[in-house]
Amino acid sequence: MSYSTFNKNQINPLTEPMFFGNSVNVARYDQQKHSIFEKLIEKQISFFWRPEEVDVSRDRVDFNNLTSAEKHIFISNLKYQTLLDSVQGRSPNIALLPIVSIPELETWIETWSFFETIHSRSYTHILRNLFTDPSEVFEDIVINEEIQKRANDISQYYDDLIFYTQLWQTHGEGEIEVHGEVHNVTMRELKKKLFLCINSVNALEAIRFYVSFACTFAFAERDLMEGNSKIIRLIARDENLHLVSTQQILNLWQYGSDDPEMKEIAEELREEALAIFMKAVEQEKEWAHYLFRDGSMIGLNEEILCQYVEYIANLRMEAIGFDAPFKQRSNPLPWMNKYLVSDNVQVAPQEAEISSYLVGQIDSQVSASDLGDFDL
Amino acid sequence: MTTTFRVKVNGQHELTVDPSEGTLLEAMEAANIDTHYHCRDGFCGACRTKLVSGDVYYINEPLAFVRPGDCLPCCCVPASDLDLDH
Repeated sequence: MSYSTFNKNQINPLTEPMFFGNSVNVARYDQQKHSIFEKLIEKQISFFWRPEEVDVSRDRVDFNNLTSAEKHIFISNLKYQTLLDSVQGRSPNIALLPIVSIPELETWIETWSFFETIHSRSYTHILRNLFTDPSEVFEDIVINEEIQKRANDISQYYDDLIFYTQLWQTHGEGEIEVHGEVHNVTMRELKKKLFLCINSVNALEAIRFYVSFACTFAFAERDLMEGNSKIIRLIARDENLHLVSTQQILNLWQYGSDDPEMKEIAEELREEALAIFMKAVEQEKEWAHYLFRDGSMIGLNEEILCQYVEYIANLRMEAIGFDAPFKQRSNPLPWMNKYLVSDNVQVAPQEAEISSYLVGQIDSQVSASDLGDFDL
Repeated sequence: MTTTFRVKVNGQHELTVDPSEGTLLEAMEAANIDTHYHCRDGFCGACRTKLVSGDVYYINEPLAFVRPGDCLPCCCVPASDLDLDH
């Protein structure tokens, strides 16, 4: 069934499933099947921010004073985050928009992806400030083996869903041969691929980002790289919202309040979904090992970071109906929370604990001698 | 006269909570209970808590999915005596 940018059939979006129903025609939000997505859009838009508003100029001085082990931690994290947001800035659009069937979810997907592009632009903002030419950092993202290992797991479920959707849209259901390989395209198969894809995205939003967040905030706890930390706070707040949307989709399926076939698939593929999550946890622990290969930093080491991954994985897995698989029930990094509290993100400049105010300033240091020429 | 409710947390803490004095999460913090939270605004779900018995009232509608038998203490207050597993 080929995709039309404006489905001319008369359809009632209130009776459509989230995905694989009729494609959306009128973008109307006066009525909603799942009003949660409309609320998420409103919340996300209320969070709007621009990377250029955050002054990162002091970070360059801080960065030059870091030890080489700390520089490795900082830059590797930025590379990994750049990869994650490069994927997330396009994939929900390419993979999910062709198959979405309700207008509020369609617009949520576009809003979500758009904010990921803001995150990508903020990494450029940070790196351009640290290096005269940040090309080397960007180019390493597609060469670095440690990042590549993760890139594959992150993109494969999207790629698989996109490929099968393309086959389905051009040939319909049936056995389709492409380059000598036969693909059995059925609606059931498509929905299974969608289910695994959303689980993979959920794991990404739920834990993959948090290892890097922890490192960023650990620098901020030492009053270092504060501009960067301010940006990552804004990113973390957005990612929380994105995570909630994938959790909502998974829960709506599980509780059968959307597509009954997706409920069956959720039960059928429960073990696979669990495996996706557990693999993400393992990969993040390996990543922590790579980050600290040259030495740890004050306040954070591989062991504590791995404990944090387990702690956060427990919370995230319970949110989608799995049992908590790890023993780590207490938060090993309690200071993380103060960076994740939504209200702390955007405060009046004079109330901010940190020196780089939200709206950019070139010189944020003023000393008594600067006022020496004034006469009263 | 304000109404207060008895809130039992993790089977060991007994709190007396006045719903007009803040959220359930704040009440647990005031009692020095080790709490889990991130956003404190109902959209991240990190404070998810098992509602063993009782009813809560949401002062802000949560955006996170609240699974049956759970509650999000960062944006709710007790509406009856509660038994929680945080």
